[in-house]
Amino acid sequence: MIISVEKLYAGYGRIEALHGISFHVKQGEIVTLIGANGAGKSTTLKALMRLAPPESPSVFGGDIRFRGESILNVEPHNVVDKLKMTLVPEGRRIFGNLTVMENLNLAAWTRKNEDVRKTLDYIFGLFPRLAERAGQRSDTLSGGEQQMLAVGRALMTDCSVLLLDEPSMGLAPVLMYDMFRTLKRLNDAGLTIVVVEQNARLALEVADRGYVLDTGEIVAEGPGAELLGSPEIKEAYLGG
Amino acid sequence: MPTDKDRVPAARLLFRCLCMEQFIQQCVNALQWGSFYALIALGYTLVYGVLLLINFAHGDVFMVGAYIAFFVSTFLLSASGPELPQGAALALTIPATVILTSTVGVTLERIAYRPLRRKGAHRLYVVITALMCGLILENGNLALLGAGRKALPELLEKQIYTFGSITVTNLKLLVIFTALLVFVFLQAVVTRTRLGMAMRAVSWDKFALPLMGIPLDMVIVFTFALGSGIAGLGGLLFAMSYPVLDPYMGAMTGWKAFIAAVVGGIGDIRGAFAGGFLLAFVEIMVAAFLPSTFRDLFAFSILLIILWKRPTGIFGIPATTKI
Repeated sequence: MIISVEKLYAGYGRIEALHGISFHVKQGEIVTLIGANGAGKSTTLKALMRLAPPESPSVFGGDIRFRGESILNVEPHNVVDKLKMTLVPEGRRIFGNLTVMENLNLAAWTRKNEDVRKTLDYIFGLFPRLAERAGQRSDTLSGGEQQMLAVGRALMTDCSVLLLDEPSMGLAPVLMYDMFRTLKRLNDAGLTIVVVEQNARLALEVADRGYVLDTGEIVAEGPGAELLGSPEIKEAYLGG
Repeated sequence: MPTDKDRVPAARLLFRCLCMEQFIQQCVNALQWGSFYALIALGYTLVYGVLLLINFAHGDVFMVGAYIAFFVSTFLLSASGPELPQGAALALTIPATVILTSTVGVTLERIAYRPLRRKGAHRLYVVITALMCGLILENGNLALLGAGRKALPELLEKQIYTFGSITVTNLKLLVIFTALLVFVFLQAVVTRTRLGMAMRAVSWDKFALPLMGIPLDMVIVFTFALGSGIAGLGGLLFAMSYPVLDPYMGAMTGWKAFIAAVVGGIGDIRGAFAGGFLLAFVEIMVAAFLPSTFRDLFAFSILLIILWKRPTGIFGIPATTKI
């Protein structure tokens, strides 16, 4: 078990956003969290990363365990550095004032130079567009390219667990499918993935398992295919 | 020959014969004066660039730097006796002042700004805290050391070089040269090192930095250390040029340096330099051509016009909406 979240209560200021959710992620899985706006999906990922309030939630109760150990007191940069888990945040949040290459290099902060070259080649293999645009200021990239950079940047940290928050947001359908195909490829290569998605159908198609969140609670869970087939889920989240 | 101290006779001279040499002489003076503004403005701009915080205590950090230089150099000269060559005292005072002053800046960040940042306090509270920190530094100094002025011992044997009727002292050259060196150094740090890259990244998006495995606090501490260290260097050079120290010396100079940073485009290193030299140039030239009481009136009017035409400052670019 890589991640296990146990009865997690969390929120912003005094407002509770997660009301005791529990879920787990196993080594090598793709797990998806789906649900409507405001269900607590992003909050869950930010809590996993241990990002600091006020932009990220405070934990009121429960526990987050990583390979069995509580990580509630781990700082976010150590989640990346020591636990090898990172997040592709909602809205991508690449450093627009830096070039593509600088964004990638920055993410290799904790690493030795020799292995960085290999990861870089790997990322350029996944996203050849990034290699073409290496010297370009990254806020001049298109939405799809920015999403590639956001994922590439996360991979540069040498993570073994990747969290993604709405990777399909703002992408044309064809790019959306490309992105999920790439995630599948990364997963086949051994990366554990937790993905939060509005586009539930797309996410459930690639995911091994899924959890359905509704206003801060988990209301359904199961293998991706099973959730995809369930009439209630279809009705509520997949547009009938 | 006119120096900074007697600009009024210089002004009359200029009125009588507006010759090139006098103008150049004033330019040299403006370069020196601008170097002080630039060295202080850098600290404002670095911290603002990273945290969007206007560190109003920064002018007083400059003052503390001058006092640190005073204590360090006095100590060095008295402890070692006459056998320590003057150059050696200066060579030791520079790093000591820079390091100790950066500790002051880092301490301010630790005890005043970081707790507020952790709580997610509104920017207004942080700015008020910064103003309070400045007052504490000023009045703490007054309470500890008294109102008497301190005189920095001479650290550099004065040499005067003359070119025609233009005179330049070695100290002036040292000040100008140091400012330029600091500029080149900072540009290199910010554009070529990973830490500089991290500083630029924080200024764009604080949230995403930890996701790269980079400790945000470390980058912020480095920024404060850099800005305060440079202010300390400025304080030392200022005290060498005008060797009388008082607790309020950082207030007005600090404000003006802040304005220089804004006019240059706050958050931009080139802007801090451009603004600093521009402000000094206007001040010195107004004082040279007109009664010196008009100095601030003219200087600030010109800056106001620049900001009116370019609200983001000379090098500033308007904030664009992020996609």
